[in-house]
Amino acid sequence: MKQLWLALLSALSLSFAGSALADTSSLKPYQAGDWKAITKAANGEPLAIHFWGVTCPACVKEMPQWGQFLKANPNAKVVFIQVDDVSTENILKMLNKAGLEKVNSYYVVAPFDERLRYEIDPKWYGETPTTILIDKNGKATRKTGLVDFQKLSIALKAKS
Amino acid sequence: MILNIRSFARLLLINTLYIGVLSVAELAQAQMDHSSSKASSMPAKPSNTCQGFGLECATAATPFFAPDGKLLLAWTANGVVSVAQSVDLGKTLAAAVQIAEHGKSLDAGSDARPQITADKQGNIFLAYAFFKDTNWNAQINTTRSTDGGKSFTSPETLVKDGSSQRFPSVLIKPDNSIFITWIDKRLVAIAKQGGEKRLGGSIAYSSSQDGGKTFETERFANENSCECCRIGGSLDPQGNPVVAYRAIFPRGIRDQATQVIIAKRAEPIRRVADDDWKTDACPHHGPSIAISGSGKFHVAWYTQGSKRSGVFYANSANQGVTYSKPSRVGADGTSVARPYLLAMGQQVWLVWKEFDGSKSSVYLKESKDDGNTWSTPKLLASTAGYSDHPLLLSRGNQAFLSWLTRDDGYQLLSVGQKQ
Repeated sequence: MKQLWLALLSALSLSFAGSALADTSSLKPYQAGDWKAITKAANGEPLAIHFWGVTCPACVKEMPQWGQFLKANPNAKVVFIQVDDVSTENILKMLNKAGLEKVNSYYVVAPFDERLRYEIDPKWYGETPTTILIDKNGKATRKTGLVDFQKLSIALKAKS
Repeated sequence: MILNIRSFARLLLINTLYIGVLSVAELAQAQMDHSSSKASSMPAKPSNTCQGFGLECATAATPFFAPDGKLLLAWTANGVVSVAQSVDLGKTLAAAVQIAEHGKSLDAGSDARPQITADKQGNIFLAYAFFKDTNWNAQINTTRSTDGGKSFTSPETLVKDGSSQRFPSVLIKPDNSIFITWIDKRLVAIAKQGGEKRLGGSIAYSSSQDGGKTFETERFANENSCECCRIGGSLDPQGNPVVAYRAIFPRGIRDQATQVIIAKRAEPIRRVADDDWKTDACPHHGPSIAISGSGKFHVAWYTQGSKRSGVFYANSANQGVTYSKPSRVGADGTSVARPYLLAMGQQVWLVWKEFDGSKSSVYLKESKDDGNTWSTPKLLASTAGYSDHPLLLSRGNQAFLSWLTRDDGYQLLSVGQKQ
């Protein structure tokens, strides 16, 4: 019985993640178990997952640069995960302001604690902003602090 | 099993709703503008979060023992700040008093917690922060009770300033005055107005001689600090507050500092360790300080510096002028976090949290010789669900661990005694 549910659940998660990279402006809930689906959805293409918070000044400062980056690199695969406990309205407002209203975005439903972070990176303590880059071989590199967008654009070139 | 069914049903619901939202969004793709982002701005809020304002839904709970031995507990849950009392060491709580409701504007970040203290007459003082505007500028509100916690004054702002004040930290001094310190962003705001690129905040402080009714004009201890980490505070044997915090040193290095605050003056900034953490990020992970009977400063902190990374402990026998070589807390490679210290006489207790992939555990180690030697770590408690930081406090000669957990309730455990 339990196995059946798990199978059903993973099927649903896959469909969830399969459409996750579609260019929609939806802000989706992120919770325990979602990490695998999000990272798998890149289909072997390099992917950046950017963790940010609306109450984090360094993040707020950097978000418009992410907007410019995606404008210049429309094919770059980037997922945004907002980790502060704030209203979705406020998250969307900041995304809009940064020109990121159409990106693939999530917000955490429960506190972004050690349990949520463990499947992402057990050695990460949740500093924001943090960007995790997953290369085409699935190797993850975590970078805390502001991003070097020039390096990022090279890393995210799909067919390199 | 029942839990599994329920959580599965919730996930199913979320996925179904999500797919629903997506197809609406896809239909509206041709006119992907504000209207569609509005439609998708209301994803069904998954209901796996605790919904109430009670302690069972709290994300942070702060304890304080009133002079009569009663436990005062302040907590934040779903945007509401509440206080309740316990006469049986936290086993049962009297009816909670709701102090304020700020919804999603309450500062419920992982290093934020309501502050509570009481003076010798049993007057209670509370401070907390919330975001006052859409630019995420915070405000610290304070409230008092002069009837033993039955009722509280309506919350008032601590300072009159348009910029941001966050992360209050409160101490009650032996002379019954209240010391409060916080992260203040007015200097950063002024610098920005002048076109200067500046991140971080400042360590501000003030005192009240009338139970928190009025406060002296605020002063700055350090103009350059991290803007998103709690400040640790402890009283030295003379009753002077000593603060520990993540300072910003030249080149944007965010390492720990301590500072003694003597009668309206802040002593020099003392660096705890040269960790060399150059970052603009928000670690949400402030230090802890405890001062023992000899006046020794005991500090524990988290860093990701180039010279060391993890949770560390060091002490200083000369008011912070020099610190001992930092020693690692917990095993290297494990996720050690949230250190907290308590000292009484020559004894020092240090707790922290570890997560092993399925449960969070609180460990304790103890020193009986003022931090020179330490016992091996001892497991105090574990929980599978959400948990707050472990905190330590004393009542008389007894030391307690205070730990709020979602699955196993609020725990107040005796961890030792002053010898």
